[in-house]
Amino acid sequence: MAMTPRQFEARYEATWVELEKGLSALDKGKKSGGRKGAKLKAGQFATETQVLPSGARIAQLYRQCCEHLALARERAYPVHLVTRLEILAARAHQRIYRRRDFGLAALRDMVLYDAPAAVRALRWHLLVVTLVFVLPIFAVGIATWLDPHFVLTVVDAREVRMFDGMYGQDDAMRLGRTSGDDWQMFGFYIMHNVGISFQCFAAGLILGVGSLAMIAYNGLLFGALAGFLITRGDSERFFSFVITHGAFELTAIVLSGAAGLKLGHAVLAPGRLTRTQALMQASRDTMPVVFCFVVMLFIAAAIEAFWSSAGWIAPGVKYAVGGCCWALVFAYLGLQGRGHDPAATLRAVAR
Amino acid sequence: MTLDTALLAETPEGIGILLRPAGAVPRALAYATDWFIRFVTFSVAAALLGGVKGVGTGILLIGYFGLEWLYPIAFELLPGAATPGKRMLGLHVIMDTGLPVTPSAAVTRNLLRVADFMPIAFAFGLLSMLMRADFKRLGDIVAGTLVVHGEQVRLAGALPDVEPLAPRVPLTRAQQIAILHLAGRARRLTLERVDELATLAENALPPPDYAPGGASPAPIRPGPRLLAVAQWLMGQR
Repeated sequence: MAMTPRQFEARYEATWVELEKGLSALDKGKKSGGRKGAKLKAGQFATETQVLPSGARIAQLYRQCCEHLALARERAYPVHLVTRLEILAARAHQRIYRRRDFGLAALRDMVLYDAPAAVRALRWHLLVVTLVFVLPIFAVGIATWLDPHFVLTVVDAREVRMFDGMYGQDDAMRLGRTSGDDWQMFGFYIMHNVGISFQCFAAGLILGVGSLAMIAYNGLLFGALAGFLITRGDSERFFSFVITHGAFELTAIVLSGAAGLKLGHAVLAPGRLTRTQALMQASRDTMPVVFCFVVMLFIAAAIEAFWSSAGWIAPGVKYAVGGCCWALVFAYLGLQGRGHDPAATLRAVAR
Repeated sequence: MTLDTALLAETPEGIGILLRPAGAVPRALAYATDWFIRFVTFSVAAALLGGVKGVGTGILLIGYFGLEWLYPIAFELLPGAATPGKRMLGLHVIMDTGLPVTPSAAVTRNLLRVADFMPIAFAFGLLSMLMRADFKRLGDIVAGTLVVHGEQVRLAGALPDVEPLAPRVPLTRAQQIAILHLAGRARRLTLERVDELATLAENALPPPDYAPGGASPAPIRPGPRLLAVAQWLMGQR
């Protein structure tokens, strides 16, 4: 006859109690380890609280507990016994499979290899989003340049006056500002731009249309602003303002759109996966891109607040530095980590 | 179709960990609590920093960004894996495999809250939660995460301690399970209700006053007799 519940409980009670104690000690943050007993002075007995199970012991107890749980379920032991084992196994499971490192090595790999590689893997989405962003810029920009009134079809008169105030000629020392100082604008750019890019990414979930619409809208605004300021004769002020942080900000906007489009693409055309699996796969693939555009927007916010707006720097210098930044961004995204073989690293670690 | 929303996540050890996904109402309450905490934090910061022009406003705006986007991510990656609102309602976030939540999953599910919010007032997220047995919103589906109740409700306790009695006939496995389950819940029920339920098992229970070989006679009421049989099934002889 199979073991009765009472015999089962009596036989393994000690195992469960030991595991429970070990887990409680770990939760309280005490170091586990059998070595504690060695610190006792001669003639002193180890009490129960002093000897805690070591990590290896907890793993062993956990596997035993799993076995007991499987047996208890199979033999339909009373509910309170099964529940107790379930709770114990779940607690130990959470503890044993927790994250160990805080991801510094992962962060290094992300910056050096994963982020640029993930961006390159999105090249077709990037192409589409770039076109959706750049074409409206040129279309509206040229239309506004030919007929300055065209700007009013995109934005209303109040916003036009705001553009004029931001980049117009009344204030020689400050660019791109109506009021406030650099720190305030730094905070504003971070809150506003990063928030917008997150929305642009998430909107991709709506079959990719959301991302494309937001990208196209931003392209329209940018085109209208640029065209309007060129007709006003403020082109140098405007372009010397945007060129440096634009390298990061415009790239980041396109990246967020491409990552969003990838999500929408996964919903529309999941291939041989289910839609849910395809979405999860797409989100794993695009996470490095999200990391990349967030960091780029932080860099852009700092440059926009402290460098782009500085009126005392000659436009020529800004063009040179801005050009270097564009080259840097493209070189990073296009070239960094090429030829890096993650499988080789894995093999090296395994050896 | 089962009404129980519990999910089993299989572990490498070959056992199933029980996960109890939280529904829309506790999650909405948790969100409201978090929203309130963030609102108060921001108001206090605004009152303190409002006087400082420039730098103060800058810090305030960065703080707003942090409260909006980083607050849930940071709290869900700390031990406990729950924002203060979720913690108050006894919820936490885990992967749908039963493992602790990973950093990239925490980022994904919180950024995609925007998609859940569309078109207005979390309509998509709510629809998604109502249509799925595991109550995932869109962000949870993509990240592969679950919001679960932490504490398991214990409906059954230890069996009441009584003198064991052998059943009248050999019991099938299903009958044994039913008797043990009822006995485990006996402490939560009134005596009358236990009697009422135990009469359904009358054929399996020993008759009232049954006393083989001069042993103490079996109780008259069916409830105590059922508890006695349960003790016998537990292995007490």
